[in-house]
Amino acid sequence: MDDFTLGVLTNIGLFSFLALSAYLLLLAGEMSFGQQAFFGVGAYSGGVLTALYGVPLPLAGLAAMLLGALAALLVGLPTLRLRGLYFAMATLAAAEVARLLFELFRFQREIDGELTGPDGTQGFRGIRWIFEHGVEPAEFLLLVYGLLALALAALMIVERSRLGTVLRSVGEDPGLAASLGVDVNRFKLGVAACAGALAALGGVLFAHHNSYIEPRNFDIMLGVHSLAYALIGGLGTALGPLLGVTLDIGLLESSRVFGGTRMIVFGGLVAVLLIVRPRGLLDEQLVHRIVRHSFKRP
Amino acid sequence: MRMLALLLALLPATPVLAQSAHADLTCRFTGTDFVYDCVVRLTRGGQPVSGAQVVVGADMPSMPMAHNLAPVKAKPGRQPGEYHARLDLEMTGEWAVKLRLSGPLRDLLVLHYEFDERGARPVPPRSRTGR
Repeated sequence: MDDFTLGVLTNIGLFSFLALSAYLLLLAGEMSFGQQAFFGVGAYSGGVLTALYGVPLPLAGLAAMLLGALAALLVGLPTLRLRGLYFAMATLAAAEVARLLFELFRFQREIDGELTGPDGTQGFRGIRWIFEHGVEPAEFLLLVYGLLALALAALMIVERSRLGTVLRSVGEDPGLAASLGVDVNRFKLGVAACAGALAALGGVLFAHHNSYIEPRNFDIMLGVHSLAYALIGGLGTALGPLLGVTLDIGLLESSRVFGGTRMIVFGGLVAVLLIVRPRGLLDEQLVHRIVRHSFKRP
Repeated sequence: MRMLALLLALLPATPVLAQSAHADLTCRFTGTDFVYDCVVRLTRGGQPVSGAQVVVGADMPSMPMAHNLAPVKAKPGRQPGEYHARLDLEMTGEWAVKLRLSGPLRDLLVLHYEFDERGARPVPPRSRTGR
C-alpha cells in the first residue's frame, strides 16, 4: 500500500473517532457543534505528554481521554440545561473559546537543544513519538483501526443493551424518560463525558500522525464535518458515522479530477445525498429492515 | 489481538531516533497558475541528508480539509540534501507544506509558506493568527 493510500485510510480512521463522538450525542438528542474542542484537548494534552515528558503513547492516550472527558463535563454542566438550537450554539461558542485558549497556550521546554511544545498561534511542532519509536505507517494504521474497532464494539454492545434503550429514549423523548425514573441531566452528562473521551482519543492519535498541530486544526469546519459524518452516514447504527467519514473523505479525495471546483462538486453531492436520504444512508428504517431480513426464519 | 500486542509493545518502547531533521524550501512560480517548482534542502545536525525519500503534500491551514495537495514524490537534486518537486496548488495564500521523510530517517516536517506570483516565502511568525 502506498503512502498516500495509507494516509487517507489513517485520516478516515482518525476522524471516525470524532464522528462517533458526535453520533453518541445525537443519540442522546443533542446536536453538538463543539466536539472538535475535545479532539483538540486530546491532541494538545497527548502531544505535551509524549513530546515534553517522554510518556509512552498508550499512557498519554489514556490521560488525554480522561482530560477530554473532564473538559466535556465542564462544558456539559452549564450547556446541557439548554435544548435544541440553543445547545448547538452554546457548544459552538465553547469550542471557539477552546480554540482561542489554544492560541494563548504557550508551554515550551528544551528537548534535544530545541524549544518544543505549544507556542500559541505558531502551533505545536515536534510531536515525534511514533517516528522516534520506529512505528511504521502501516502499524499506526493498525493501531488506529484496532482502537476504533474497540470503540465501535463497545458502542454496539451498549446500543443493544438496556443502557442503549435508555439512551435512545432520552434522545427521543426526555420528558417520557424522566417520568420513567431516568435522571436525564445526569445521563446526558455521562454521555457527554464519554463523547469527549472518544473525541480526545481521536485527537491524540491525530497529533501523533501529523507531528504538528495548531489551533486552526480545531476550528468550526471540523465541528461541522463531525456532525455531517453522522448525518450523512445515518443514525440507525454506529456504523453510520463511519460510513459518513468514508464517504466524506472518499468523495473529497476522488473529486480531485474537478480541480479548483471540487468543493462545489463535493457540496452538491452531499446536498443530493441528504435530499434523497434525509436521515442518512444507514437510517433507522434501513437498519431495522436489514436486521429483520438477516434474522428472518426460513 | 494483534492490536493489543502492538499496544503492549509500544508501552516500553525506547527512542530509536533522537535528532530531528530540518528543511527549508525555495519555490519558483512557473508562470502557470498556482504551479511552483520547489527545492527542498534537508539537513540533520547541520549536515545535508541525501538518499531520503521525500513526499511533499500541502494543506491550507485557513481552510482545513477543504484545500489540500495530493502528495508528490520529490526527486533528488544535484547537491547533497537537495530534492526537487513540482507543486500544483489550488490557489495562492498560506500553505502548510508537509514533508514526509522515509529511508535513512523517518519524520514529518511541516513548513508554513506564503505562495504568490513571486514564489514562496516562510510565513512570518506574527502574521500567523487564528483568523
